Amino acid sequence: MIKSPLFNKGFQNAVLSLALKTIKLRYKNSFLGVFWSMLNPLIFLTILIIVFKQINHIEHFALYALTGLIFWNFISASILQVLTSFIDNAAILKSINLHPFCFPLSAMVAAVFNLLLTLIPFFVIMFFLGYDLSWSFLAFFPFTIITAVFVLGLGMLMGTINVYFRDIQLLWTTIIPAFFYFTPIAYTPELLSENQRFLLKLNPFYYFIESYHDIFYRSVVPSFENFGMSLFLAMLSIVIGYAAFNKYRKGFISNI
Amino acid sequence: MTPTAEPMIRLTDVDICFYVQENGFVSMKDFLLHPGKYKLLQKSFVLKNVNLQINKGESFALLGKNGSGKSTLLRALSGIITPDKGKIELFGAVAPLLGLGVGLEQELTGIENIRLSCALMGMTKAEIKQRLPEIIEFSELGEAIHWQVKRYSTGMMSRLSFSIAIIKQPEILLIDEVLSVGDLGFQQKCLKKVMEIKDNGATIIFVSHNFEEVSNMCSRAALVNNGTVEFVGPVKEVGERYHHLFDN
Repeated sequence: MIKSPLFNKGFQNAVLSLALKTIKLRYKNSFLGVFWSMLNPLIFLTILIIVFKQINHIEHFALYALTGLIFWNFISASILQVLTSFIDNAAILKSINLHPFCFPLSAMVAAVFNLLLTLIPFFVIMFFLGYDLSWSFLAFFPFTIITAVFVLGLGMLMGTINVYFRDIQLLWTTIIPAFFYFTPIAYTPELLSENQRFLLKLNPFYYFIESYHDIFYRSVVPSFENFGMSLFLAMLSIVIGYAAFNKYRKGFISNI
Repeated sequence: MTPTAEPMIRLTDVDICFYVQENGFVSMKDFLLHPGKYKLLQKSFVLKNVNLQINKGESFALLGKNGSGKSTLLRALSGIITPDKGKIELFGAVAPLLGLGVGLEQELTGIENIRLSCALMGMTKAEIKQRLPEIIEFSELGEAIHWQVKRYSTGMMSRLSFSIAIIKQPEILLIDEVLSVGDLGFQQKCLKKVMEIKDNGATIIFVSHNFEEVSNMCSRAALVNNGTVEFVGPVKEVGERYHHLFDN
């Protein structure tokens, strides 16, 4: 990362242009545009409210569930987009002299932009469900950057391996629904007994979703544990992810 | 303009390898279970020990069978692949014309594609804005520049990408079998443009299987065979040796 292309103006423009293209293409041919990004969490929310409310006896469970869903969708979808970014851009990778870090980075930028876009209408719904706006909301911005760094690292690690072994992509799409239930989204951690709760904390996504619960459900800044662990995991993830990418990117052209 | 002996491109002992994994998921298992013992990727040489000097203002052809390593050599010259060993020295800005039309996004319009491609080529917003009218004009696409590229014919797509690729007034131009694009009129226009770039003192590296085209344009050539540069010399002699490869 010492010779980072990040500070090159041309590289920055390439990342932004590629991200803009992704967003444009996502909405270009669909009449309802942004609405589609909202539909999935809303359907799930309905199910969670009807079914899981029976076992979760907390105040504003709908807000709790919606917060979890929005950010779970963001994390799981963007990991997949980063993961497939090298393969998606195979043609460019083979014919244009562009640092390949551009592809995962632009996928991540597009995902964050998409999140911000869908968050605007979701905000209205959140207020409706009892969201109490406070200054702690500002923690959302730095925390989302941390989340993005985590996703970028993990996605790049898997994306690099995926160039050589396409099984990774399938493996990931297969286990991601399991992680949905392993992460406190449809239930609160309190549903588990004290001595079972450590199990949840083995899941890296726990800290990210709980931090977002802190911000949007509990209206506080993320707890020291949640924030600290998220930051630690993000650093770990980007270091390993970038190192793996950098070591194995020389073989991308011959394997893609 | 006669070529001077000032080098524009110099390759010294260049090796380029491909890293492929051949054993599928099994090799992943071995790699993880026996750390250090197995390599995840197998190395195979695509180019071995290549030494080549191409001078300023020269038009140089690469001849060779399919799969001999010509395109890899061009990719290395354009910086897409870095050599495993040896040194590639370039004394000017490179514009690669490798596979026209690949970077085009079907759903976007011609103009949007120009902006995107230019950005991917490393141009800044200001540069793009400045070059945009020039590119549109050269492409001769007229109204069609506002259409989605999926409505373009193959020839129109080639026009668009050629116009984009050529715009930076390169000092080194790499051409990989792409001049046979578009209709006759546009082909001649492309050829004229390449000649113009050449007359401005640029160096041109040309890969083509059309020997007639090659001998018209180039004075010197190299024969690439099985990943090595077998012979460098006047284009006619290289051409003969190239034809000999197919004798039996």
